[in-house]
Amino acid sequence: MAFKKKYRAAPLLMISPYLALMLFCGFIPLIYAIDEVSKPSWKNLNGSFSTIYKILGDFRVIPDLGHSIFLLVVYVPITIVSVLALSLLLDSTHVPGNTFMRLVFLLPGIVSGGISVFIWMFFIGNHVNWNLNNEAWIIAGVAFSSGAGSWVVIQYGSLRSIPHEILEAARVDGCNRWELATKIKIPMISRYIGYMGILLTASAIQIYSEPALLTKIGLPSNWWSLNQVAYSYAFQAGDFAAGTALSLDMLIPSVIIAIIFIRKTDFLKRSAY
Amino acid sequence: MSNRIDRRNSILINLTLWALTILVLLPFIWLIRQAGPQYVLSTRFVFMNQNGIVLAWLKNSLLFSLTALAISVISSVTAGFVLAILQIPFRKFLLFITLVTMLIPITAMALPLYVLVDKIHLTDNIWGLIIASSYYPFGTFLSYLYFVSAMPGDLIGMGRIDGLGDWGLFWHLGIPLSRSLWSVVIFFSFLNLWNSYQLPKVLLNDPRHYTLPMGLELLYGSGTAIVGVLMLIPILGVYLLSQQAIERGIFSGAVHGQ
Repeated sequence: MAFKKKYRAAPLLMISPYLALMLFCGFIPLIYAIDEVSKPSWKNLNGSFSTIYKILGDFRVIPDLGHSIFLLVVYVPITIVSVLALSLLLDSTHVPGNTFMRLVFLLPGIVSGGISVFIWMFFIGNHVNWNLNNEAWIIAGVAFSSGAGSWVVIQYGSLRSIPHEILEAARVDGCNRWELATKIKIPMISRYIGYMGILLTASAIQIYSEPALLTKIGLPSNWWSLNQVAYSYAFQAGDFAAGTALSLDMLIPSVIIAIIFIRKTDFLKRSAY
Repeated sequence: MSNRIDRRNSILINLTLWALTILVLLPFIWLIRQAGPQYVLSTRFVFMNQNGIVLAWLKNSLLFSLTALAISVISSVTAGFVLAILQIPFRKFLLFITLVTMLIPITAMALPLYVLVDKIHLTDNIWGLIIASSYYPFGTFLSYLYFVSAMPGDLIGMGRIDGLGDWGLFWHLGIPLSRSLWSVVIFFSFLNLWNSYQLPKVLLNDPRHYTLPMGLELLYGSGTAIVGVLMLIPILGVYLLSQQAIERGIFSGAVHGQ
């Protein structure tokens, strides 16, 4: 009875196509994947935790975990700071060719794999002496150049949204460009920055395309990242449960960070009216 | 004095941005200089000497990308509006699930999606791929952030006083005030679908049903570059179409006074 009083039918009707897609393409596959991990199979006779123990004991997992931590510590903060710096620079003054610049920053992320190989051959050369010291930095560089452009478009867009009156009032109060950026603009787009942080964390832990691409220029390992290991379990070794168990393990840190962010901010607050 | 410093800073900012732009452009210029004339010559080879298969992939890619684009954009922007403005049960839970499903690696989702698509007898069929790819949580969350930030409560309240219902709010306020958001979501959704590789690889078997990124792998070494360059054209087209809205800003709605 209370349900009928509080909620109208129209919003449910409006959101129903999305809910149907979420159910079919998101929720049910997730439940299926969890169920697949817990079920015994001919590849995992006991199922459940034994599958998880098996993948945690894989010789590739610990080094790859180190790679993920490296990306989390290096790639995520550098990308956040660089994207914000570029977006703030683009927004701070009249820049002729602004639209063209954003398109150029997008380019490394939108070219297909085949072209990317040529581009990275240009930057790092055809005969790289791959070693433990340079491969993580090169992969972080490729990931940065592929992803930063899209985020510049989004963050620049969010900066352009800040009401003109607020910026004008701050200028009248004597704010210079730096103060405008740090005291007005960044706090006003903090939700977008949080969104970027959550997705970058996930992309650092789940990195796949960049190391896979670099194997074509000589990166010696086919299992540089956890996602490559998960992929090899699921689609090369035919052990879907193990691949999924590793994938779901990769999901945990991203979800924890998302929960912390949601709890500490008003990220999921509804529009106030 | 302060004007002079301001002008100097503007020049420095412009120089920095142009230097970065040229740095990013360098490999593309190198690529065009190295292989430009060969690309022009190989276009005919790629399109004609492969039994027209590249044209079939192009047709599949267009059908897949445009249909899934329409479904994903309409459903995700509408959902973002509902989650931000209207009252529905389990709102926070739905937002949380939206966020979580966005974070799940495709490796974990690919096989369950294959099983589900198989249950509706649409494996190795472009329509199965369209259904499986039309869920776009990234667009929903972006739309949610937009509507929460850009639709002032007063405006919605006034709309209610004027007699607008839930549909009316969306139709008369939500859509007109979010044209720039639609452009941004369309651009990123198209980019995502046009370059989609892993899911088509799991769901499609017959090479005649492939999309361009999958076909590109088959062609590797015999025209990859030209198809790769041609694949950029629609993306650049959509970018240029949406650039005006992007320039105005994702949020440029009611609060911007435009």
